[in-house]
Amino acid sequence: MISIKSSSLRKWLKIIIPFALIPASITAGLSVPGEKLYAYVTLVITAFTVLLFIAGFEAKKTGTRRLIIAAVMIALSVAGRFIPFFKPVTALTVITAVYLGGETGFLVGSLSAVISNFYFGQGPWTPFQMFAWGMIGLIAGFLALPLKKSRILVLAYGLLAGILYSFVMDIWTVLWYNGEFNGALYLSALISAIPYTILYSFSNVIFLWFFAKPFGEKLERIKIKYEI
Amino acid sequence: MKDFSDLNPITIFIYFFAVIFVAMFCMNPVILAVSLAGAVCLFMLRNGAKQKRSHAFFFLMFIVMALINPLFYHNGVTVLFVMNDNPVTLEALLYGIAASAMIIAVLYWFRSFSQLMTSDRLLYIFGSVSPKTALIISMSLRFVPLFGTQAKRIDQAQKALGLYKEDNAVDAIRGKGRVFSVMTTWALENGIVTADSMTARGYGTGKRTFYSLYRFSRFDAVLIASSLALFALTMTAAAYGTLDFVFYPAISPPKLTPFAFIAYLSYCVLVFIPVIIEAEERLKWKYLLSKI
Repeated sequence: MISIKSSSLRKWLKIIIPFALIPASITAGLSVPGEKLYAYVTLVITAFTVLLFIAGFEAKKTGTRRLIIAAVMIALSVAGRFIPFFKPVTALTVITAVYLGGETGFLVGSLSAVISNFYFGQGPWTPFQMFAWGMIGLIAGFLALPLKKSRILVLAYGLLAGILYSFVMDIWTVLWYNGEFNGALYLSALISAIPYTILYSFSNVIFLWFFAKPFGEKLERIKIKYEI
Repeated sequence: MKDFSDLNPITIFIYFFAVIFVAMFCMNPVILAVSLAGAVCLFMLRNGAKQKRSHAFFFLMFIVMALINPLFYHNGVTVLFVMNDNPVTLEALLYGIAASAMIIAVLYWFRSFSQLMTSDRLLYIFGSVSPKTALIISMSLRFVPLFGTQAKRIDQAQKALGLYKEDNAVDAIRGKGRVFSVMTTWALENGIVTADSMTARGYGTGKRTFYSLYRFSRFDAVLIASSLALFALTMTAAAYGTLDFVFYPAISPPKLTPFAFIAYLSYCVLVFIPVIIEAEERLKWKYLLSKI
Protein backbone atom coordinates (compact mmCIF):
# COMPACT_ATOMS: atom_id res chain seq x y z
CA MET A 1 0.00 0.00 0.00
CA ILE A 2 1.23 3.46 -0.85
CA SER A 3 1.15 5.84 2.06
CA ILE A 4 3.08 9.06 2.29
CA LYS A 5 4.20 9.93 5.79
CA SER A 6 5.61 13.45 5.51
CA SER A 7 2.78 15.95 5.45
CA SER A 8 4.78 18.64 3.62
CA LEU A 9 5.70 16.18 0.87
CA ARG A 10 2.07 15.25 0.62
CA LYS A 11 1.12 18.89 0.22
CA TRP A 12 3.68 19.33 -2.55
CA LEU A 13 2.57 16.21 -4.35
CA LYS A 14 -0.98 17.46 -4.19
CA ILE A 15 0.03 20.46 -6.29
CA ILE A 16 2.72 18.89 -8.50
CA ILE A 17 0.81 15.84 -9.70
CA PRO A 18 -2.30 17.44 -11.12
CA PHE A 19 -0.64 20.57 -12.47
CA ALA A 20 2.82 19.42 -13.59
CA LEU A 21 3.21 15.65 -13.80
CA ILE A 22 0.07 14.94 -15.78
CA PRO A 23 0.53 17.60 -18.46
CA ALA A 24 4.21 16.62 -18.68
CA SER A 25 3.53 12.96 -19.28
CA ILE A 26 0.86 13.78 -21.81
CA THR A 27 3.29 15.94 -23.79
CA ALA A 28 5.97 13.26 -23.43
CA GLY A 29 3.56 10.68 -24.81
CA LEU A 30 2.69 12.96 -27.70
CA SER A 31 6.31 13.61 -28.66
CA VAL A 32 7.38 9.96 -29.08
CA PRO A 33 7.37 9.53 -32.86
CA GLY A 34 5.85 6.50 -34.51
CA GLU A 35 4.46 5.06 -31.31
CA LYS A 36 0.78 5.42 -30.53
CA LEU A 37 0.99 5.18 -26.79
CA TYR A 38 -0.97 8.26 -25.78
CA ALA A 39 -4.20 6.54 -24.86
CA TYR A 40 -2.37 4.13 -22.54
CA VAL A 41 -0.13 6.84 -21.10
CA THR A 42 -3.13 8.97 -20.24
CA LEU A 43 -5.07 6.03 -18.88
CA VAL A 44 -2.20 4.90 -16.66
CA ILE A 45 -1.43 8.40 -15.46
CA THR A 46 -5.05 9.15 -14.69
CA ALA A 47 -5.55 5.94 -12.76
CA PHE A 48 -2.29 6.62 -10.92
CA THR A 49 -3.35 10.13 -9.90
CA VAL A 50 -6.66 8.97 -8.57
CA LEU A 51 -4.92 6.18 -6.64
CA LEU A 52 -2.40 8.62 -5.20
CA PHE A 53 -5.18 10.83 -3.94
CA ILE A 54 -6.87 7.88 -2.35
CA ALA A 55 -3.59 6.75 -0.80
CA GLY A 56 -2.97 10.24 0.59
CA PHE A 57 -6.44 10.22 2.03
CA GLU A 58 -5.82 6.78 3.52
CA ALA A 59 -2.69 7.93 5.33
CA LYS A 60 -4.40 10.97 6.75
CA LYS A 61 -6.28 11.04 10.01
CA THR A 62 -9.78 11.96 8.92
CA GLY A 63 -12.54 12.18 11.47
CA THR A 64 -15.16 9.48 11.26
CA ARG A 65 -17.88 12.13 11.00
CA ARG A 66 -16.29 13.77 7.98
CA LEU A 67 -15.87 10.33 6.39
CA ILE A 68 -19.54 9.50 6.77
CA ILE A 69 -20.68 12.92 5.55
CA ALA A 70 -18.60 12.30 2.42
CA ALA A 71 -20.35 8.93 2.00
CA VAL A 72 -23.73 10.64 2.41
CA MET A 73 -22.90 13.22 -0.27
CA ILE A 74 -21.67 10.47 -2.63
CA ALA A 75 -24.86 8.49 -2.11
CA LEU A 76 -26.97 11.60 -2.80
CA SER A 77 -25.16 12.35 -6.04
CA VAL A 78 -25.29 8.70 -7.17
CA ALA A 79 -29.03 8.63 -6.45
CA GLY A 80 -29.28 11.88 -8.40
CA ARG A 81 -27.75 10.31 -11.50
CA PHE A 82 -30.99 8.37 -11.92
CA ILE A 83 -32.84 11.60 -12.70
CA PRO A 84 -33.23 11.55 -16.49
CA PHE A 85 -31.11 14.12 -18.37
CA PHE A 86 -30.25 16.31 -15.37
CA LYS A 87 -27.30 15.06 -13.37
CA PRO A 88 -26.55 16.75 -10.04
CA VAL A 89 -23.16 15.07 -9.50
CA THR A 90 -21.10 18.16 -10.38
CA ALA A 91 -23.31 20.48 -8.35
CA LEU A 92 -23.12 18.31 -5.23
CA THR A 93 -19.36 17.86 -5.67
CA VAL A 94 -18.88 21.63 -5.88
CA ILE A 95 -21.06 22.29 -2.85
CA THR A 96 -19.23 19.65 -0.80
CA ALA A 97 -15.85 21.04 -1.86
CA VAL A 98 -16.81 24.60 -0.94
CA TYR A 99 -18.01 23.70 2.54
CA LEU A 100 -15.86 20.70 3.47
CA GLY A 101 -12.64 21.37 1.56
CA GLY A 102 -11.10 20.37 -1.74
CA GLU A 103 -9.92 16.94 -0.69
CA THR A 104 -13.39 15.85 0.40
CA GLY A 105 -14.64 17.37 -2.86
CA PHE A 106 -12.20 15.27 -4.88
CA LEU A 107 -13.27 12.18 -2.98
CA VAL A 108 -16.98 12.84 -3.50
CA GLY A 109 -16.53 13.58 -7.22
CA SER A 110 -14.31 10.63 -8.03
CA LEU A 111 -16.08 8.03 -5.91
CA SER A 112 -19.48 9.13 -7.25
CA ALA A 113 -18.14 8.19 -10.68
CA VAL A 114 -17.07 4.68 -9.57
CA ILE A 115 -20.22 3.93 -7.63
CA SER A 116 -22.68 5.23 -10.19
CA ASN A 117 -20.83 3.17 -12.80
CA PHE A 118 -21.82 0.06 -10.86
CA TYR A 119 -25.31 0.89 -12.12
CA PHE A 120 -24.43 2.47 -15.47
CA GLY A 121 -21.53 0.27 -16.56
CA GLN A 122 -17.80 0.40 -15.85
CA GLY A 123 -15.41 0.96 -18.74
CA PRO A 124 -12.02 2.39 -19.57
CA TRP A 125 -13.67 5.80 -19.13
CA THR A 126 -14.15 5.26 -15.39
CA PRO A 127 -10.69 6.63 -14.40
CA PHE A 128 -11.30 9.68 -16.59
CA GLN A 129 -14.67 10.38 -15.06
CA MET A 130 -13.09 9.96 -11.64
CA PHE A 131 -10.35 12.37 -12.59
CA ALA A 132 -12.63 14.97 -14.21
CA TRP A 133 -15.17 15.06 -11.39
CA GLY A 134 -12.44 14.85 -8.77
CA MET A 135 -10.61 17.84 -10.25
CA ILE A 136 -13.85 19.84 -10.42
CA GLY A 137 -14.14 19.23 -6.67
CA LEU A 138 -10.50 19.95 -5.89
CA ILE A 139 -10.43 23.26 -7.78
CA ALA A 140 -13.72 24.28 -6.18
CA GLY A 141 -12.03 23.63 -2.84
CA PHE A 142 -9.19 26.01 -3.74
CA LEU A 143 -11.74 28.67 -4.68
CA ALA A 144 -13.90 28.00 -1.62
CA LEU A 145 -13.81 31.55 -0.18
CA PRO A 146 -14.90 33.51 -3.27
CA LEU A 147 -17.35 30.77 -4.24
CA LYS A 148 -18.96 30.94 -0.81
CA LYS A 149 -19.46 34.68 -1.08
CA SER A 150 -20.75 35.16 -4.60
CA ARG A 151 -23.67 33.28 -6.06
CA ILE A 152 -22.88 34.39 -9.61
CA LEU A 153 -19.37 32.96 -9.29
CA VAL A 154 -20.75 29.58 -8.19
CA LEU A 155 -23.09 29.49 -11.16
CA ALA A 156 -20.26 30.50 -13.52
CA TYR A 157 -18.08 27.76 -12.04
CA GLY A 158 -20.84 25.22 -12.63
CA LEU A 159 -21.18 26.35 -16.25
CA LEU A 160 -17.43 26.17 -16.82
CA ALA A 161 -17.18 22.78 -15.09
CA GLY A 162 -19.78 21.35 -17.46
CA ILE A 163 -17.83 22.56 -20.49
CA LEU A 164 -14.45 21.40 -19.13
CA TYR A 165 -15.86 17.99 -18.23
CA SER A 166 -16.88 17.52 -21.84
CA PHE A 167 -13.49 18.72 -23.11
CA VAL A 168 -11.55 16.30 -20.90
CA MET A 169 -13.78 13.33 -21.72
CA ASP A 170 -13.53 14.01 -25.47
CA ILE A 171 -9.73 14.09 -25.36
CA TRP A 172 -9.97 10.54 -24.11
CA THR A 173 -12.54 9.56 -26.76
CA VAL A 174 -10.25 10.76 -29.55
CA LEU A 175 -7.09 9.20 -28.08
CA TRP A 176 -8.78 5.88 -27.57
CA TYR A 177 -10.30 5.74 -31.02
CA ASN A 178 -7.48 7.18 -33.04
CA GLY A 179 -4.37 6.26 -31.04
CA GLU A 180 -3.07 9.79 -31.43
CA PHE A 181 -4.48 13.24 -31.05
CA ASN A 182 -6.20 14.56 -34.15
CA GLY A 183 -7.54 18.12 -34.12
CA ALA A 184 -10.29 17.57 -36.70
CA LEU A 185 -11.53 14.45 -34.94
CA TYR A 186 -11.46 16.21 -31.57
CA LEU A 187 -13.43 19.11 -33.01
CA SER A 188 -16.01 16.75 -34.47
CA ALA A 189 -16.26 14.90 -31.15
CA LEU A 190 -16.77 18.23 -29.37
CA ILE A 191 -19.38 19.33 -31.89
CA SER A 192 -21.29 16.05 -31.70
CA ALA A 193 -21.20 16.40 -27.90
CA ILE A 194 -22.56 19.96 -27.92
CA PRO A 195 -26.12 18.99 -26.91
CA TYR A 196 -24.72 17.00 -23.97
CA THR A 197 -22.30 19.75 -23.01
CA ILE A 198 -25.14 22.28 -22.97
CA LEU A 199 -27.28 19.87 -20.96
CA TYR A 200 -24.44 19.27 -18.44
CA SER A 201 -23.71 22.96 -18.01
CA PHE A 202 -27.37 23.87 -17.88
CA SER A 203 -28.19 21.22 -15.28
CA ASN A 204 -25.15 22.26 -13.22
CA VAL A 205 -26.39 25.84 -13.21
CA ILE A 206 -29.96 24.78 -12.39
CA PHE A 207 -28.90 22.54 -9.54
CA LEU A 208 -26.45 25.09 -8.15
CA TRP A 209 -29.12 27.79 -8.48
CA PHE A 210 -31.56 25.81 -6.34
CA PHE A 211 -29.24 23.78 -4.12
CA ALA A 212 -26.17 25.89 -3.43
CA LYS A 213 -27.76 27.99 -0.71
CA PRO A 214 -30.00 25.48 1.13
CA PHE A 215 -27.39 22.72 0.86
CA GLY A 216 -24.67 25.09 2.00
CA GLU A 217 -26.77 26.08 5.00
CA LYS A 218 -27.38 22.45 5.88
CA LEU A 219 -23.68 21.57 5.64
CA GLU A 220 -22.69 24.70 7.54
CA ARG A 221 -25.19 23.86 10.27
CA ILE A 222 -23.90 20.28 10.55
CA LYS A 223 -20.34 21.59 10.59
CA ILE A 224 -21.03 24.01 13.45
CA LYS A 225 -23.29 21.66 15.38
CA TYR A 226 -20.93 18.69 15.32
CA GLU A 227 -17.57 20.42 14.84
CA ILE A 228 -16.50 18.48 11.76
CA MET B 1 -12.26 -27.05 -11.40
CA LYS B 2 -14.77 -24.30 -10.71
CA ASP B 3 -17.08 -21.95 -12.55
CA PHE B 4 -15.28 -18.81 -13.71
CA SER B 5 -17.40 -16.59 -11.47
CA ASP B 6 -16.47 -18.68 -8.40
CA LEU B 7 -12.84 -17.70 -8.66
CA ASN B 8 -11.15 -15.30 -6.30
CA PRO B 9 -11.83 -11.65 -7.28
CA ILE B 10 -8.09 -11.01 -7.56
CA THR B 11 -7.80 -13.76 -10.17
CA ILE B 12 -10.69 -12.32 -12.15
CA PHE B 13 -9.23 -8.81 -11.90
CA ILE B 14 -5.76 -9.90 -13.10
CA TYR B 15 -7.24 -11.94 -15.92
CA PHE B 16 -9.34 -9.08 -17.25
CA PHE B 17 -6.47 -6.64 -16.85
CA ALA B 18 -4.24 -8.87 -18.99
CA VAL B 19 -6.79 -9.47 -21.73
CA ILE B 20 -8.01 -5.88 -21.99
CA PHE B 21 -4.55 -4.35 -21.83
CA VAL B 22 -3.33 -6.43 -24.79
CA ALA B 23 -6.51 -5.66 -26.74
CA MET B 24 -6.00 -1.93 -26.20
CA PHE B 25 -2.27 -2.06 -26.87
CA CYS B 26 -1.99 -4.09 -30.08
CA MET B 27 -3.54 -2.69 -33.23
CA ASN B 28 -3.02 -6.04 -34.89
CA PRO B 29 -5.96 -7.53 -36.86
CA VAL B 30 -5.31 -11.09 -35.66
CA ILE B 31 -5.12 -10.05 -32.00
CA LEU B 32 -8.22 -7.88 -32.37
CA ALA B 33 -10.23 -10.59 -34.13
CA VAL B 34 -9.29 -13.14 -31.45
CA SER B 35 -10.10 -10.65 -28.70
CA LEU B 36 -13.47 -9.72 -30.19
CA ALA B 37 -14.40 -13.37 -30.79
CA GLY B 38 -13.44 -14.34 -27.24
CA ALA B 39 -15.28 -11.39 -25.70
CA VAL B 40 -18.49 -12.09 -27.64
CA CYS B 41 -18.25 -15.83 -26.88
CA LEU B 42 -17.88 -15.25 -23.14
CA PHE B 43 -20.72 -12.73 -23.10
CA MET B 44 -23.03 -15.04 -25.07
CA LEU B 45 -22.09 -18.03 -22.95
CA ARG B 46 -22.98 -16.17 -19.77
CA ASN B 47 -26.13 -14.43 -21.07
CA GLY B 48 -27.47 -16.83 -23.66
CA ALA B 49 -29.50 -15.42 -26.50
CA LYS B 50 -30.77 -12.55 -24.34
CA GLN B 51 -29.42 -9.01 -24.61
CA LYS B 52 -30.28 -8.77 -28.31
CA ARG B 53 -30.56 -5.01 -28.02
CA SER B 54 -27.04 -4.53 -26.73
CA HIS B 55 -25.68 -6.72 -29.53
CA ALA B 56 -27.57 -4.61 -32.06
CA PHE B 57 -26.32 -1.41 -30.41
CA PHE B 58 -22.70 -2.61 -30.47
CA PHE B 59 -23.03 -3.64 -34.11
CA LEU B 60 -24.40 -0.24 -35.10
CA MET B 61 -21.66 1.49 -33.14
CA PHE B 62 -19.07 -0.68 -34.90
CA ILE B 63 -20.33 0.37 -38.34
CA VAL B 64 -20.51 4.07 -37.49
CA MET B 65 -17.05 4.19 -35.91
CA ALA B 66 -15.48 2.21 -38.74
CA LEU B 67 -16.79 4.79 -41.23
CA ILE B 68 -15.71 7.86 -39.23
CA ASN B 69 -11.98 7.33 -39.74
CA PRO B 70 -11.81 7.39 -43.58
CA LEU B 71 -13.90 10.57 -43.55
CA PHE B 72 -11.41 12.41 -41.34
CA TYR B 73 -8.12 10.76 -42.20
CA HIS B 74 -6.81 10.98 -45.73
CA ASN B 75 -3.46 9.23 -45.40
CA GLY B 76 -2.81 6.10 -47.43
CA VAL B 77 -1.82 5.24 -50.99
CA THR B 78 -4.87 3.32 -52.23
CA VAL B 79 -7.54 5.89 -53.06
CA LEU B 80 -10.99 4.35 -53.26
CA PHE B 81 -12.86 7.47 -54.36
CA VAL B 82 -12.81 11.23 -53.86
CA MET B 83 -15.41 12.97 -51.76
CA ASN B 84 -15.58 16.78 -51.38
CA ASP B 85 -12.05 17.06 -52.80
CA ASN B 86 -10.79 14.68 -50.13
CA PRO B 87 -9.53 11.22 -51.01
CA VAL B 88 -11.10 8.33 -49.14
CA THR B 89 -8.43 5.65 -48.82
CA LEU B 90 -8.53 1.91 -48.25
CA GLU B 91 -5.88 2.20 -45.53
CA ALA B 92 -7.94 4.67 -43.52
CA LEU B 93 -11.01 2.47 -43.88
CA LEU B 94 -9.12 -0.61 -42.66
CA TYR B 95 -7.69 1.36 -39.76
CA GLY B 96 -11.21 2.51 -38.89
CA ILE B 97 -12.43 -1.09 -38.88
CA ALA B 98 -9.51 -2.17 -36.68
CA ALA B 99 -10.01 0.73 -34.24
CA SER B 100 -13.72 0.12 -33.87
CA ALA B 101 -13.13 -3.63 -33.49
CA MET B 102 -10.78 -2.78 -30.63
CA ILE B 103 -13.32 -0.49 -28.97
CA ILE B 104 -16.21 -2.94 -29.34
CA ALA B 105 -14.05 -5.81 -28.04
CA VAL B 106 -13.07 -3.76 -24.98
CA LEU B 107 -16.72 -2.80 -24.41
CA TYR B 108 -17.72 -6.48 -24.53
CA TRP B 109 -14.91 -7.40 -22.14
CA PHE B 110 -16.06 -4.70 -19.76
CA ARG B 111 -19.66 -5.95 -19.95
CA SER B 112 -18.52 -9.37 -18.78
CA PHE B 113 -16.16 -7.76 -16.26
CA SER B 114 -19.04 -5.75 -14.72
CA GLN B 115 -21.16 -8.89 -14.48
CA LEU B 116 -18.42 -10.95 -12.85
CA MET B 117 -16.96 -8.18 -10.70
CA THR B 118 -19.94 -7.29 -8.53
CA SER B 119 -19.55 -4.44 -6.05
CA ASP B 120 -18.75 -6.75 -3.12
CA ARG B 121 -15.95 -8.37 -5.10
CA LEU B 122 -14.49 -5.03 -6.13
CA LEU B 123 -14.68 -3.95 -2.49
CA TYR B 124 -12.71 -7.03 -1.52
CA ILE B 125 -9.89 -5.85 -3.78
CA PHE B 126 -10.24 -2.20 -2.81
CA GLY B 127 -10.26 -3.13 0.87
CA SER B 128 -6.78 -4.56 0.62
CA VAL B 129 -5.43 -1.35 -0.96
CA SER B 130 -7.35 1.32 0.90
CA PRO B 131 -9.67 0.19 3.70
CA LYS B 132 -10.96 3.72 4.29
CA THR B 133 -12.04 4.21 0.68
CA ALA B 134 -13.58 0.75 0.63
CA LEU B 135 -15.55 1.69 3.74
CA ILE B 136 -16.83 4.89 2.10
CA ILE B 137 -17.79 3.00 -1.04
CA SER B 138 -19.63 0.26 0.80
CA MET B 139 -21.47 2.79 3.01
CA SER B 140 -22.48 4.86 -0.03
CA LEU B 141 -23.73 1.73 -1.78
CA ARG B 142 -25.91 1.03 1.24
CA PHE B 143 -27.08 4.66 1.48
CA VAL B 144 -28.41 4.81 -2.08
CA PRO B 145 -31.40 2.46 -1.53
CA LEU B 146 -31.81 3.68 2.07
CA PHE B 147 -32.32 7.27 0.89
CA GLY B 148 -34.80 6.04 -1.69
CA THR B 149 -37.02 4.39 0.92
CA GLN B 150 -36.65 7.33 3.30
CA ALA B 151 -37.67 9.78 0.56
CA LYS B 152 -40.75 7.66 -0.12
CA ARG B 153 -41.66 7.70 3.58
CA ILE B 154 -41.29 11.48 3.86
CA ASP B 155 -43.28 11.92 0.68
CA GLN B 156 -46.14 9.80 2.04
CA ALA B 157 -46.10 11.65 5.36
CA GLN B 158 -46.22 15.04 3.63
CA LYS B 159 -49.04 13.95 1.37
CA ALA B 160 -51.01 12.47 4.26
CA LEU B 161 -50.60 15.77 6.11
CA GLY B 162 -52.13 17.50 3.09
CA LEU B 163 -49.03 19.63 2.49
CA TYR B 164 -49.13 19.31 -1.28
CA LYS B 165 -51.29 17.99 -4.07
CA GLU B 166 -50.00 16.19 -7.12
CA ASP B 167 -52.54 17.59 -9.61
CA ASN B 168 -51.05 21.07 -9.31
CA ALA B 169 -47.70 21.22 -11.12
CA VAL B 170 -46.18 24.13 -9.16
CA ASP B 171 -47.36 22.66 -5.89
CA ALA B 172 -46.00 19.23 -6.84
CA ILE B 173 -42.54 20.57 -7.68
CA ARG B 174 -42.38 22.62 -4.49
CA GLY B 175 -43.57 19.60 -2.53
CA LYS B 176 -40.88 17.35 -4.04
CA GLY B 177 -38.30 20.02 -3.30
CA ARG B 178 -39.39 20.06 0.34
CA VAL B 179 -39.24 16.26 0.51
CA PHE B 180 -35.69 16.38 -0.86
CA SER B 181 -34.71 19.07 1.64
CA VAL B 182 -36.12 17.10 4.57
CA MET B 183 -34.43 13.95 3.30
CA THR B 184 -31.04 15.65 3.02
CA THR B 185 -31.19 17.01 6.55
CA TRP B 186 -32.20 13.60 7.80
CA ALA B 187 -29.41 11.95 5.79
CA LEU B 188 -26.74 14.24 7.22
CA GLU B 189 -27.97 13.85 10.80
CA ASN B 190 -28.32 10.11 10.33
CA GLY B 191 -24.75 10.06 9.01
CA ILE B 192 -23.49 11.78 12.16
CA VAL B 193 -25.36 9.30 14.34
CA THR B 194 -23.83 6.44 12.36
CA ALA B 195 -20.37 7.97 12.72
CA ASP B 196 -20.75 8.44 16.49
CA SER B 197 -22.01 4.91 16.83
CA MET B 198 -18.99 3.67 14.91
CA THR B 199 -16.61 5.67 17.09
CA ALA B 200 -18.31 4.33 20.21
CA ARG B 201 -17.71 0.81 18.98
CA GLY B 202 -14.05 1.50 18.45
CA TYR B 203 -13.76 2.35 14.77
CA GLY B 204 -10.36 3.80 14.00
CA THR B 205 -8.65 2.46 17.11
CA GLY B 206 -7.06 -0.49 15.40
CA LYS B 207 -6.39 -2.00 12.04
CA ARG B 208 -9.54 -2.65 10.10
CA THR B 209 -10.13 -6.01 8.51
CA PHE B 210 -12.75 -6.98 5.98
CA TYR B 211 -15.00 -9.96 6.11
CA SER B 212 -14.67 -11.91 2.92
CA LEU B 213 -15.90 -15.25 1.79
CA TYR B 214 -13.46 -15.60 -1.05
CA ARG B 215 -10.84 -18.28 -0.80
CA PHE B 216 -7.64 -18.42 -2.69
CA SER B 217 -7.41 -21.92 -4.07
CA ARG B 218 -4.61 -23.64 -5.92
CA PHE B 219 -6.61 -23.25 -9.12
CA ASP B 220 -6.53 -19.45 -8.60
CA ALA B 221 -2.76 -19.53 -8.30
CA VAL B 222 -2.43 -21.61 -11.46
CA LEU B 223 -4.76 -19.31 -13.36
CA ILE B 224 -3.00 -16.12 -12.21
CA ALA B 225 0.40 -17.57 -13.10
CA SER B 226 -0.74 -18.73 -16.54
CA SER B 227 -2.57 -15.47 -17.37
CA LEU B 228 0.49 -13.45 -16.39
CA ALA B 229 2.82 -15.73 -18.36
CA LEU B 230 0.67 -15.58 -21.51
CA PHE B 231 0.28 -11.82 -21.07
CA ALA B 232 4.06 -11.40 -20.74
CA LEU B 233 4.68 -13.50 -23.87
CA THR B 234 2.28 -11.47 -25.99
CA MET B 235 3.52 -8.16 -24.63
CA THR B 236 7.17 -9.08 -25.22
CA ALA B 237 6.36 -9.88 -28.83
CA ALA B 238 4.48 -6.58 -29.13
CA ALA B 239 7.36 -4.63 -27.55
CA TYR B 240 9.84 -6.12 -30.04
CA GLY B 241 7.62 -5.01 -32.91
CA THR B 242 6.85 -8.57 -33.97
CA LEU B 243 3.15 -7.80 -34.05
CA ASP B 244 3.38 -4.31 -35.61
CA PHE B 245 0.81 -4.00 -38.31
CA VAL B 246 1.52 -0.89 -40.39
CA PHE B 247 -1.57 0.86 -41.80
CA TYR B 248 -0.08 4.09 -43.18
CA PRO B 249 0.97 4.95 -45.80
CA ALA B 250 0.53 1.43 -47.20
CA ILE B 251 -0.67 -1.75 -45.52
CA SER B 252 2.21 -3.97 -44.51
CA PRO B 253 1.41 -6.91 -42.26
CA PRO B 254 4.14 -8.27 -39.95
CA LYS B 255 5.98 -11.45 -40.99
CA LEU B 256 4.67 -14.63 -39.47
CA THR B 257 7.83 -15.60 -37.63
CA PRO B 258 7.75 -18.46 -35.10
CA PHE B 259 7.86 -15.85 -32.32
CA ALA B 260 4.84 -14.03 -33.74
CA PHE B 261 3.03 -17.34 -34.06
CA ILE B 262 3.72 -18.14 -30.41
CA ALA B 263 2.44 -14.69 -29.42
CA TYR B 264 -0.80 -15.14 -31.37
CA LEU B 265 -1.26 -18.60 -29.93
CA SER B 266 -0.65 -17.48 -26.36
CA TYR B 267 -3.10 -14.60 -26.67
CA CYS B 268 -5.64 -16.98 -28.16
CA VAL B 269 -5.28 -19.32 -25.19
CA LEU B 270 -5.49 -16.38 -22.77
CA VAL B 271 -8.68 -15.07 -24.39
CA PHE B 272 -10.45 -18.42 -24.39
CA ILE B 273 -9.56 -19.50 -20.81
CA PRO B 274 -12.92 -18.39 -19.30
CA VAL B 275 -14.88 -19.78 -22.24
CA ILE B 276 -13.18 -23.15 -21.77
CA ILE B 277 -13.79 -23.13 -18.02
CA GLU B 278 -17.46 -22.17 -18.40
CA ALA B 279 -18.06 -24.63 -21.22
CA GLU B 280 -16.43 -27.44 -19.26
CA GLU B 281 -18.61 -26.66 -16.28
CA ARG B 282 -21.77 -26.73 -18.42
CA LEU B 283 -20.76 -30.05 -20.00
CA LYS B 284 -20.09 -31.58 -16.62
CA TRP B 285 -23.48 -30.40 -15.39
CA LYS B 286 -25.25 -31.83 -18.44
CA TYR B 287 -23.37 -35.10 -18.00
CA LEU B 288 -24.32 -35.35 -14.34
CA LEU B 289 -27.93 -34.56 -15.18
CA SER B 290 -28.03 -37.27 -17.81
CA LYS B 291 -26.85 -39.83 -15.26
CA ILE B 292 -29.76 -39.14 -12.90
